[in-house]
Amino acid sequence: MRNTILIVDDMEINRAILAEGFKDEYHILEAENGQEAIDILNVNEDIAAVLLDIMMPVMDGLDVLREMNSNGIIFRIPVFIITASDSEKTLMDAYNLGAVDIISKPFMMNFLKCRIGSVIELYRHRNELEEIIDEQVKTLNSINHSMIETLASVIEFRDCESGEHVKRISGITEVLMTAVSEMFPEYYTTRVEIEKITMASILHDVGKIAIPDGILNKPGRLTNEEFEIMKQHTTKGCEILASMPSGILDKEVYNYSYDICRHHHERYDGRGYPDGLKGDDISICAQVVAIADVYDALTSPRVYKAAFEHEKAVDMIFNGECGIFNPKVLEAFKSSMDKIKR
Amino acid sequence: MSLIDDLKALGANTDEALERFMGNASLYERMLGKLTAAVESNQVMPCFESGDYQGALEKAHTLKGVTGNLSITPLYKAYSDAVSLLREDKPDEAKAAVEKILSVQEEFISCIEKNK
Repeated sequence: MRNTILIVDDMEINRAILAEGFKDEYHILEAENGQEAIDILNVNEDIAAVLLDIMMPVMDGLDVLREMNSNGIIFRIPVFIITASDSEKTLMDAYNLGAVDIISKPFMMNFLKCRIGSVIELYRHRNELEEIIDEQVKTLNSINHSMIETLASVIEFRDCESGEHVKRISGITEVLMTAVSEMFPEYYTTRVEIEKITMASILHDVGKIAIPDGILNKPGRLTNEEFEIMKQHTTKGCEILASMPSGILDKEVYNYSYDICRHHHERYDGRGYPDGLKGDDISICAQVVAIADVYDALTSPRVYKAAFEHEKAVDMIFNGECGIFNPKVLEAFKSSMDKIKR
Repeated sequence: MSLIDDLKALGANTDEALERFMGNASLYERMLGKLTAAVESNQVMPCFESGDYQGALEKAHTLKGVTGNLSITPLYKAYSDAVSLLREDKPDEAKAAVEKILSVQEEFISCIEKNK
């Protein structure tokens, strides 16, 4: 718990009075000017309040407030201006820079203690609530993630899969997105975005729920008509996503999911489906999920085929037997092979 | 007579100051001991004489805070007036307000020094 009061005043007499008033309940730190105060604030995690004079040598009180604004400390620690009589403009500036209260010298110690004590209590309470809310947001996000994963797994069960496929796809997507982003500046993606893409990749085959069993689980080769229906899992997936109540998916996760659902069967040479997009008209996340999906399909047993070994699957991908991919994504795939290998 | 009684006789509101010092008379006396140095390092008159009114304002402001906290009421009132008058752009009146209490300030300081 924050339990220190920082007293900032160039006159020792003023600091001594304040220190005397608070020393029984708080640990006291003193600074003779603004710069010393900033140095203390930068290294001390324990400060519950700052009592700040305005007119000081080296660095004045308003500059201390400005610095506390620029590094965000002002939002966590209440600052009280203790002033002899500064101009109205100066005091308004102090308020506008985030000071919580202005106390005139000479002050009455008992009132001062009450005012400062109650604000410290308020900030403590607020900081505690923020921690609780952070925890709850984490829990909610994790529940949300599990629900989406469960939804995707349920769909996979129809596909005679165990639910491991979606987990593997998201794992490969994360590794590959990270590699692509690090190796090719034109595809740079922030960590936060990569996490969202990883989550979105889980839903890439959600449209398969709309494909009849006879086609989805057919042991032999699909007829042209059947394949046309099978291809619809991309657009059906988008319809399902669009029908989900808003709020289940984060807006950006939704956008990535929509894009991945629709475009994870596009081909770099423009011969994929459903839109026949070519080259980088296909988003990098859809390109990454496409290769992750192909690799996982090759290395998994299916009703119509046995699983291929890792080496064989990689050969097939690089030989162009399973579609045409962006050479840069292939390079990233090659460089992260150790992490991807089943 | 103690220092605090002497100062009270000179017009300081020592009861109020002791309340501010949480009843700690020895701390109050210790801080009174620092008044001399505070006054010396914040001489207002030379600023007035050289026309440095911003300097005069800063020094009067500092002494207003200190004398206020120590409840040296006559000095506090004079420095308060000086600060207000300087802000109102009336340096001559501000100077007069300070000049008027210089001898009182001397009395307070010699009383404090005598008791050290």
